[in-house]
Amino acid sequence: MSWNRHVPGLSGPRLDRTAKTTVAFLAIVVALFFVLPFVGLAQRAVENGGFWDLATHRQTREALWLSLWTSTTTATLAAVFGTPLAYALSRSRFPGKVVVDGLVDLPIVLPPTVAGVALLTAFGRRGLLGEPIDSLTGYTFGFSTTAVIMAQMLVSAPFFFRAARSGFDAIDPQIERVAYTLGASRTRTFLRITLPQAWPALLAGIVLCWARSMGELGATLIFAGNLEGKTQTMPLAIIEAFSGSALGLDGAIVLSLILLGVALAVLTLFRAVAARGLRQP
Amino acid sequence: MSLEFDATLTLGAFTCEASLKANDEILVLFGHSGAGKSVTLQAIAGLMQPVRGRIDINGQAVFDSARGVNVPPQGRAVGYVVQDLALFPQMSVGQNIAFGMPRGAGQSRRQRVERLLAALQLEGYGDRRPGSLSGGQQQRVALARALARDASLLLLDEPFSALDESLRAGLRRELLRLRAERGLTIVFVTHDLREAHLLADRLAVFDAGRVLQCDARESVFRHPASRRVAELTGVANIFEGTVRGIDSGAPVVDVRGLTLRCAPPAMGTGPRPGEAVDICIRAERVVLHRGEPRDHTAVNLLEAAIVEDLAYGATHTLRLTPTGAGPALEVELAARPYEVMGVAGRQTWTVELPPADLHVMARRTPGD
Repeated sequence: MSWNRHVPGLSGPRLDRTAKTTVAFLAIVVALFFVLPFVGLAQRAVENGGFWDLATHRQTREALWLSLWTSTTTATLAAVFGTPLAYALSRSRFPGKVVVDGLVDLPIVLPPTVAGVALLTAFGRRGLLGEPIDSLTGYTFGFSTTAVIMAQMLVSAPFFFRAARSGFDAIDPQIERVAYTLGASRTRTFLRITLPQAWPALLAGIVLCWARSMGELGATLIFAGNLEGKTQTMPLAIIEAFSGSALGLDGAIVLSLILLGVALAVLTLFRAVAARGLRQP
Repeated sequence: MSLEFDATLTLGAFTCEASLKANDEILVLFGHSGAGKSVTLQAIAGLMQPVRGRIDINGQAVFDSARGVNVPPQGRAVGYVVQDLALFPQMSVGQNIAFGMPRGAGQSRRQRVERLLAALQLEGYGDRRPGSLSGGQQQRVALARALARDASLLLLDEPFSALDESLRAGLRRELLRLRAERGLTIVFVTHDLREAHLLADRLAVFDAGRVLQCDARESVFRHPASRRVAELTGVANIFEGTVRGIDSGAPVVDVRGLTLRCAPPAMGTGPRPGEAVDICIRAERVVLHRGEPRDHTAVNLLEAAIVEDLAYGATHTLRLTPTGAGPALEVELAARPYEVMGVAGRQTWTVELPPADLHVMARRTPGD
């Protein structure tokens, strides 16, 4: 494409001086708005000092560990249950498919607090299913780590499902039909032909689902409560720090920085893996 | 290897009814897109289930609605190649070819892949990804992969239509060679008339979900069963006429005041006097003479003037209007005779319609 730069008659529309100035102005405003908060976060942490003490505080460690493993469990469960269902939905045709598609997307646009309330009405101690379970076994979901995973699942799983669905949609069904005529069973075709091609999309879905779970606040707070060591994930610990926990406002800043670091690390790793996946075929 | 197909398929509101046969030959399914060729092929491969009927491969029923037989595609041992090839992008060329090979049994898979690569002029490409190959090479990989199952029935759904004409010509030649070497039975779907003519031993003409005619190639091209078959197979001159009489077995037909003597019907009873018929002749079969023909036994002559002359390079297509009675005609002439005869310098010609090339068809009312 570079050759046509030297041929005035062929060059595409160029930005003139006024347009360039406008673009530069907008870019600076946008950059300031998006970058400044992170700079502020880092600057405050440095100014306050005591980063290490706060970062290794028991409450921080517990919240971080809880966030990491509940999010990982949620993402794993979403992938295990969601992959076959996404594939089935992608390949099937039935009346009302549009409705199903819409319902799957609903939690993505639903406010998480609504999701939390909805979960309470179903699985809470007085909930549709929660009440009989409680009276039969004495078990309640409230204030348990299971509830944290349930809240994350309702809010984040659709992100995986959507990504997986479009990944499977992008694969030509013809390629699977040809595999059948070559003697491959449905299972072998799925594992050897479909899955390897859908893999980048599935990976993206897992990362999105995991990241959304790491940040989950509203549904967890309402459905699982805010119990240190049991249901207090990182976002809940930050909220509590603001309302005056042992960590204090400085703690909130440190917790935020840690979450930011984790997010950056995951994003970088994902980019690297995805780039390798794209280069390979 | 033989194939017998007699089944009805439905796809939404579309219904396709086909009855076909192939025996160690190339059967071409020809017709416009949406005529039912591809679904028929999918039914043979087992990728689509007919609503009723029977499909036999090598005398073995792979589908029979009466007996509840429906062998899945994995068990039908057919090679299936589609227009967009559907090569497995994440595998090497060699892995693509080896994918359908039966395990174990005699030679190692590696040797067999090498032999197939050689057979399709793909030596040295075994470790490449399909995406790094040219369109023609990818097409060869798809063929090799289909052959790797030792399938002797090959189903090809417009396999060359995404390629340039120059590549297509080479691949068609290759297909004919492979077929001769391996004794394959091939069912080939195409909407390209030239391709159909080149490859077909047997030709099935599809139109709106029905097989209008399935016969040896020459029969279909020279003796189309109906006006529609003639239209679809590119017959330029089709006229309505009335049978005036039968002269020693040969029908004599009146077309717009011109009396045409035809050859006796190849089979069947032929038309009766007074019957309304369609009569046709291919554009390349019409003969032009400067004035009176030297052969005085020539019949079916009329005088006509050239009103249009389209030069296609290798051929010229002329439109002629009769100066007296008779129909307007289209004539196709190769470039060389066109020049030798000096067609460009003369407007009025004597046109001969040889009886052997005139074909009489029973007139069918629509819906018949």
